[in-house]
Amino acid sequence: MPIFRLHLPILDEIKEKGLRPALRDKTDDVVTRITAGLSIQDVRSMLRDDPPGRPNPRLKPHSEGFWLHMKPTYYHSLVDGVYPTFRLGWLSTFFFVVEIVTGVLLMVYYTPSPTAAYTNMLNILSNVPFGRLIRDVHRLGAELMVAIVMLHALRTFLTGSYKKPRQFTWATGIILLLVTWLLSFSGYLLPWDQLSLWAVTIGVSMVEAIPPEVVGRTVNLLFRGAPEFGANGLLRWYLLHVVALPLAGIVFVGVHYYKVVLHGHSLPPEAEEIGEDTARRVPTDSRSYFFPHVATRELFYVVALTAIIVIGALFYHAPLESHADPLVTPLHSTAPWYFLWLQGMLKLGDKVIFGLIVPGVLIGGLLVLPYIEVGPSRRYGHRRIGLTAGMGLVLTFAVLSYMGSPWYAVQTSPEQEAVAELLPQTHPGPLRLSNWEGLDVGTYEASSYAQAPSETLRSILAEFEHSVESIRVEGRSDFEGVMVVEDWQTNLKKVTVRILWTDDVSGDPGEYSQTVYLHKDSNYGQGE
Amino acid sequence: MRWHIALGTLSVLVLVAVFGYVAIGEQQRMEAFTEAYDARQIETGATLFETHCRTCHGPQGKGIVGVAPAINAADLFNGDRLAAVGFSGTLTDYLEGVISAGRPVPSAGTNYPQRMPTWSQEYGGPLRKDQIDALVGFIENWEDRALAAGGGETGAPSGEPIGTDIAVSLPEGNPERGQDLAQGAQGGCSACHELAAVGPPWAGSSEMPGIATRAGDRINEADYKGNATTAQQYLIESIVQPNAFVVPGYESGIMPQDYAQRLTPQQVADLIAYMETMP
Repeated sequence: MPIFRLHLPILDEIKEKGLRPALRDKTDDVVTRITAGLSIQDVRSMLRDDPPGRPNPRLKPHSEGFWLHMKPTYYHSLVDGVYPTFRLGWLSTFFFVVEIVTGVLLMVYYTPSPTAAYTNMLNILSNVPFGRLIRDVHRLGAELMVAIVMLHALRTFLTGSYKKPRQFTWATGIILLLVTWLLSFSGYLLPWDQLSLWAVTIGVSMVEAIPPEVVGRTVNLLFRGAPEFGANGLLRWYLLHVVALPLAGIVFVGVHYYKVVLHGHSLPPEAEEIGEDTARRVPTDSRSYFFPHVATRELFYVVALTAIIVIGALFYHAPLESHADPLVTPLHSTAPWYFLWLQGMLKLGDKVIFGLIVPGVLIGGLLVLPYIEVGPSRRYGHRRIGLTAGMGLVLTFAVLSYMGSPWYAVQTSPEQEAVAELLPQTHPGPLRLSNWEGLDVGTYEASSYAQAPSETLRSILAEFEHSVESIRVEGRSDFEGVMVVEDWQTNLKKVTVRILWTDDVSGDPGEYSQTVYLHKDSNYGQGE
Repeated sequence: MRWHIALGTLSVLVLVAVFGYVAIGEQQRMEAFTEAYDARQIETGATLFETHCRTCHGPQGKGIVGVAPAINAADLFNGDRLAAVGFSGTLTDYLEGVISAGRPVPSAGTNYPQRMPTWSQEYGGPLRKDQIDALVGFIENWEDRALAAGGGETGAPSGEPIGTDIAVSLPEGNPERGQDLAQGAQGGCSACHELAAVGPPWAGSSEMPGIATRAGDRINEADYKGNATTAQQYLIESIVQPNAFVVPGYESGIMPQDYAQRLTPQQVADLIAYMETMP
């Protein structure tokens, strides 16, 4: 008796039915298994958009498969258009997945250590095929995701979809907004360049203000891993970015989406009676079935959006500044754009009130909004106060964001600002981007820019003169800009940008200058 | 639905085309980035050199005799110096090692009493690895011009040296020539007395007067151990016999000991004339 007997049922079937029918049946069987219930015939008729049979075989993947179990079998045709959802929730999920996929690829080339992180970035850019593309998609996707999640929250507010019975869905949504912000923010630190170090330093400086002092200090230590950011801090933020926050995101997306499906997508406010929620009672003639319409559309969205974001990444390059240096604060460092409102708020006054209490009350208020604001009507006309308040909040956000930018109430010297126009510290700027060959060696006065020997110098000096002219400092006059170009080494020029003035009272001359070395091949134009 | 399928298929084709397009240019892009990064490292290195190295190695790395040797010199690039110290690795390795760890003993055969400090954070210095690399990149960029200029450092004076007699009578000094000498590679005084406080600063400040006034005061102080009887003699003595009297708070032997053989009386007179402009 054999110990082991190989039995292939397909051979029996071929013997019984002949080769082709047996293979056809087998293929049909495999397709049915993979699609969780749809035979080849069903798939075919679905793609041809034939009317489904009875019972509708296209519902089987929903009831039998895991992935589609969480998708509704049909939608109300009123929420199937662009309005009222604008697909923003779907888009958020799409970008979340894009971030996970590109993020995992980037993790392969990344070590969370201050001695290695920046070198890893250089390696990704100089030595990993598709490395820059993946990084750019990751960064672009992150910025878009933050914007889309915020718009999603705004839309939900405007259509009143947070109202009963969807209060809890809203609350988990606010948590997801926070998770998204923190995900993007925690990613900022990882390249370990000047931009990341200082953006995160500014962001985290707030927690230090938590009273009493011992709590603030401890929380600050927990976030930074030491009094200043270093190896421990980087590791902590890395783990937040790649483990804790994505996990929280996945859990809350699960809860959020479960609630969405449970209550149904809320209908446009004008489509139902006040105080009623009819999203779950979809008349047979207003059903849009997932198969095939919604499914093909979503599949189309996935590929089209992937194509769009990849093409976008050909033109958008994630910035990479010089290596992080805790001793050098670049002029005009800011928090990321979605936290500029916080930075703006901090300029209003007390760190505890404007950095912690006001934002805390705002976020807490948003979290419990649907439990407090219980007006039954979702119609726009009945929610004038609410909508006005909401628009007021959006405006406040915009104004505070402007106030958070370096253009509002930042005390720097005008001379420094004028030089920074040519030599900014957070991006390359006109001088570094100028044509190297056109920087002829010599000393040039900004005011006589028209006499400069090359077109490059003329445009740079004209720009310089423009910013020197706009300097206004009390007690100083006769501002004058001078630019000196020296030949320093093979293919290396030294450029000194100098601003001179006279003190009105003492008559003493004063000067401010900054020096930059420019190499022929440094090629700042390529975006990194 | 047809449109979705058609456009979706088109999107897939576009994606494949974009990936293909990126793939074709990727090798070139990576090379371009490497080239640009190396160039930016040279720029960074130039800034670091001005801050950290220039005070001893002189402007443009030409060296300051008695303080630190020239690095913008042919012998560094033609292999002579590596052979002289018995280093068998590459120049890049040599530079990286010397900058990172410093030189515990001065270069053999020359008069450099100061040891080269360690610069890498790994050895307790202030610079990160990428900054050391930037400096190496910057120094190596001197190669073409250093080899073209040829020769090594010369410490020979342009006439009869002054010697160690502090009572020597000096010709008329020119403060401008003195300034050039002090700030140039041959004198090299500025490196320690003006740009950094390795030696007593010449210029006056709110805490103490300049060298011209101090020279006159010093000879009358109780703890003065030198032989000078006038301010001029004190200054000559400080140049030609630096260890005759060391200002309290500074170490003996840091100041190069060979100016007596390297400077002519005219040059010392120029230097003193320059110092006298700093009351």
